[in-house]
Amino acid sequence: MEATIEINGLRKRYGGTVAVDGLSFTVRPGQVTGFVGPNGAGKSTTIRLLLGLDRPDEGTALVGGKRYQDLRTPLCQVGALLDASALHPGRSARDHLLWQAHSNGIPGRRVDEVLELVGLAAVAKRAAGGFSLGMRQRLGIAGALLGDPPVLIFDEPVNGLDPEGVIWIRNLLRRLGEQGRAVLVSSHLMGELEGSADHLVVIGRGRLIADTSVRELLAKASDGRVTLRTGQVREAITVLNQAGATVAATDHDEVTVTGLPVAKIVPLLTDAGVSFSGVAERRPTLEEAYLELTHGSVEFQATPAGQGAASW
Amino acid sequence: MRHSLRAEWTKVRTLRGNTWLAVGIAVCTVLATAGATAAVSTAQCPTVTTCFEDTARLALRGVWLGQAVVVVLAVLMMSNEYGNGMIRTTLSAIPRRVEVLFTKAAVISGIVLATGAAGAVGSLLIGNVIMPANGFTPANGYPPLSLADGPTLRATVGTVLYLALIALLSLGVTTVLRDTAVSITAVLTLLYVVPVISTFVTDPEWLDRLRKISPMTAGLAIQATRDLDRLPIGPWPGLGVLAAYAAVAMIVGGVLFVVREA
Amino acid sequence: MVTMTPYRSTVESSRDGFPQLLLSEWTKLRSVPRWGLTMLAAAAATILVGMLLAAGAGAQSAGGDGSTAGISPQFRDAGSYVHRPLTGDGSLVARVATQERNDPWAKAGLMMRVSAQPGSPYAALMITPGHGVRLQSNFVTDLPGSDSGAPRWLKLTRTGDSVTGYESADGSNWSKVGTVQLEGMGPTVETGVFVASPDALKLLRQFGGEDISETTNLGKASFDNVKVEPARPQQLAPWKSNGNTQVDPNATTFSLVGAGDIGFYQFATDKTKTILSGAMIGIMALVALGVLFITTEYQQGLIWTTFTASPRRGRVLAARAIVLGGAAFVVGLVASFAVFLIAAPMINQGKAAPASLSDPQVLRGVVGTAALMAVVAVFSLAVAAIVRRSTAAITTVLLLLLVPLVASTALPLTVAKWLEAVTPAAGFAIQQTIMRYDTAIGPWSGFAVLCAYTAVALGVAIWRVQRQEA
Repeated sequence: MEATIEINGLRKRYGGTVAVDGLSFTVRPGQVTGFVGPNGAGKSTTIRLLLGLDRPDEGTALVGGKRYQDLRTPLCQVGALLDASALHPGRSARDHLLWQAHSNGIPGRRVDEVLELVGLAAVAKRAAGGFSLGMRQRLGIAGALLGDPPVLIFDEPVNGLDPEGVIWIRNLLRRLGEQGRAVLVSSHLMGELEGSADHLVVIGRGRLIADTSVRELLAKASDGRVTLRTGQVREAITVLNQAGATVAATDHDEVTVTGLPVAKIVPLLTDAGVSFSGVAERRPTLEEAYLELTHGSVEFQATPAGQGAASW
Repeated sequence: MRHSLRAEWTKVRTLRGNTWLAVGIAVCTVLATAGATAAVSTAQCPTVTTCFEDTARLALRGVWLGQAVVVVLAVLMMSNEYGNGMIRTTLSAIPRRVEVLFTKAAVISGIVLATGAAGAVGSLLIGNVIMPANGFTPANGYPPLSLADGPTLRATVGTVLYLALIALLSLGVTTVLRDTAVSITAVLTLLYVVPVISTFVTDPEWLDRLRKISPMTAGLAIQATRDLDRLPIGPWPGLGVLAAYAAVAMIVGGVLFVVREA
Repeated sequence: MVTMTPYRSTVESSRDGFPQLLLSEWTKLRSVPRWGLTMLAAAAATILVGMLLAAGAGAQSAGGDGSTAGISPQFRDAGSYVHRPLTGDGSLVARVATQERNDPWAKAGLMMRVSAQPGSPYAALMITPGHGVRLQSNFVTDLPGSDSGAPRWLKLTRTGDSVTGYESADGSNWSKVGTVQLEGMGPTVETGVFVASPDALKLLRQFGGEDISETTNLGKASFDNVKVEPARPQQLAPWKSNGNTQVDPNATTFSLVGAGDIGFYQFATDKTKTILSGAMIGIMALVALGVLFITTEYQQGLIWTTFTASPRRGRVLAARAIVLGGAAFVVGLVASFAVFLIAAPMINQGKAAPASLSDPQVLRGVVGTAALMAVVAVFSLAVAAIVRRSTAAITTVLLLLLVPLVASTALPLTVAKWLEAVTPAAGFAIQQTIMRYDTAIGPWSGFAVLCAYTAVALGVAIWRVQRQEA
């Protein structure tokens, strides 16, 4: 099976609300694809459509070229973590995985392997109802890995995890991608994907906003921006404005300059006698790049932008 | 106390399902009465004058169905809070647990008394429409049912009280068992299975004993308005048996509610 | 991005066949400790309540008049019989001169039987006021003759193991009614004339309840020209009566009065059903289990995990129904056999025939109880899959099962029978081992009604579940 996810012209409406509106993208093997958008953007709907839990009004969602419903042993081809709290509180962790294994003819020893893999082997016999959120997430991930599938889908895997858990998941995701699997990870917080995602699919209001590799996105977001630290903010702005740059004060002693490279800024300021303590090309975080990218999308207007400084 | 009453009332009132259930108590009672009265006619008696039909009791039979809705409403009132963890919110707002339980009992009793009264009176009215067509006419010795008649009034008021006691019994059982499915099954089994099972008991002594201690059979003795000597237990003592069940359930529930962690 | 070889799963899995699905659902069912306890509770309740019911019924003396000793409680072998032995083949002739028309099924006629003991195999040719001439044997065979009443000539002829009945208006032109085979006939059989009459069922509505009473109904008839004609010449013994009445040992005319019927007894106590009725409480527990097996998955969102692992949802539901039904059947079978073996000796006191597993009806009741428990559990599961809420599902199923039975204690018998025949409560009929005046529906038909409800509910559930979205 080709380890890919192909979403093509997908459209889904629940009653009056359009949840997914003509979405198309592809998830390739060998990398971790972040699936990003605010709450209610249509991420979970897309994943449900992909897993055949809901039926699309239009378009297709294929795994390895097939509809999910047509897969014979789906757990061996696609692993999915949907909702970590979806378990019977009275059933032990091992039994929770065992029935899933049985349903796809997966041998029982594989259950013990994945429990070991996610670090739950010691509590395998305990009722899952007593598990913390972090343990439930690990159990859900164990379920996704049960069939050792080439395609993995994680819906908000870091939700409610402690920092240690976040790091564990980040490393796990990277490792899974490196093994050549296609990994789709959804999140409403871009920061969570920092350091694990190689590729990003950004959606808002059910529509595709961006489909780009992380490297490209960061490169684009940083383009030409320089952060300047100076005690003479007012003077610096005047000088650089006159040179044709766009300048915005971002702090009482800091401005962001767009449209002039560092090589030109330094002599300009030196000539004008404006003292400065530091000048650096800005390396934006993924979060910032994302916010810049989504600035134009209507869906994101309500999100607090966090760029409160007014330009002069 | 007043605050917790208002809080409980708001909780009940704001769930649409509860409104339907409350209306359902009256509607199911009246509909079942319509069915029961339509099925009985003087033609089934040896002679019209020897029917000795207790028309008030017949017209109040609808509670056999109506009580099931009461059980559901009362059980949900408690079990829903355990089901979704709301109980912790409730108890942090009103830490006095006895007061919480007492308020719940007061609110459910109030609702059931109101809707039960509507159902009982509605049943008498619909009985008065249907029964004369089946031969239960004043000419045959069956005057229209009226609350001005002492025994009929007792039967009607008693029926409403019966429903309220069923609600308290359900609330108590649910406080002990805490789970919706388990509580509903337990209460409905207690109510309905004993009358059915008792049809297989042929030993008259056993049968008499069983009827005296079965909450439904004993409690519904309150509906009888004639030939009281044929009842296994008198009307008020019968209702007392049900009250005892409700009291035990509420006390056990109350103790566990205070002692147990939420 | 460097393209790399796509990952291949290292887990070798067999196909997701139906057996795998069954195993998966079974794992689910057995792995929740509470559900196992519910099953145990269902079995325990069935046994305990059954024992209590047996104790509560043990003291009464059904059919204690001796006329039913040794035969199934479904039948009575009473009435008045004047007989003498006949060795070898031969005929018995008589004219029924008069018969009182007290009941459509009052019987007056001739009878040959293996012995005078009640319950022994017999062949009887008779006149009835309402149903003409009949040839009956061994309680179950009933062949119709002409519509004539008394006076009428009747003749029974034994040839080997078969007995043939004839009727005639004048005693010379005979027409054949039919032939029956009798098991276990020795060289000598008892031959004679008899009168019987079923008890009258008085069904009266009084004091807000149905008053059902069984009153003795005396059958009266007179016979003349009574003659036993052996094929082989022999000395005929004197006439004897089965009652205390003295009869002329050489008479050819008789005037008989007989109470009680030979045949079907509609007031019989169904001991087996009584013992097995504890299952009603066990069933309540299984209703809750069947509902929770579905609704907990919806509550927890676990259903989506299930449908991700097995996208063919109809098969999932079918597998779950089979697993639950199978488990409930096994639990039910253990419980119903246990309660029968424990409680039958308690209830088998007195002269009436004991309920025994060697009776196919009893065996059907005991095994049928397990089947009943299984089907009710599956019905609950199906209703739960349709409504998806435990409260609604449990209440619906319990009311459908119980209200018809409760209502029947106060409603007129006809209405009660109708309710018990058309609702899922009809399934309880599988527990009955005899037919009574208040039997609403036959065992298999009643069970079929429940199965039909279950099949429809399961069909709707599968249809709904396939269309279900978040």
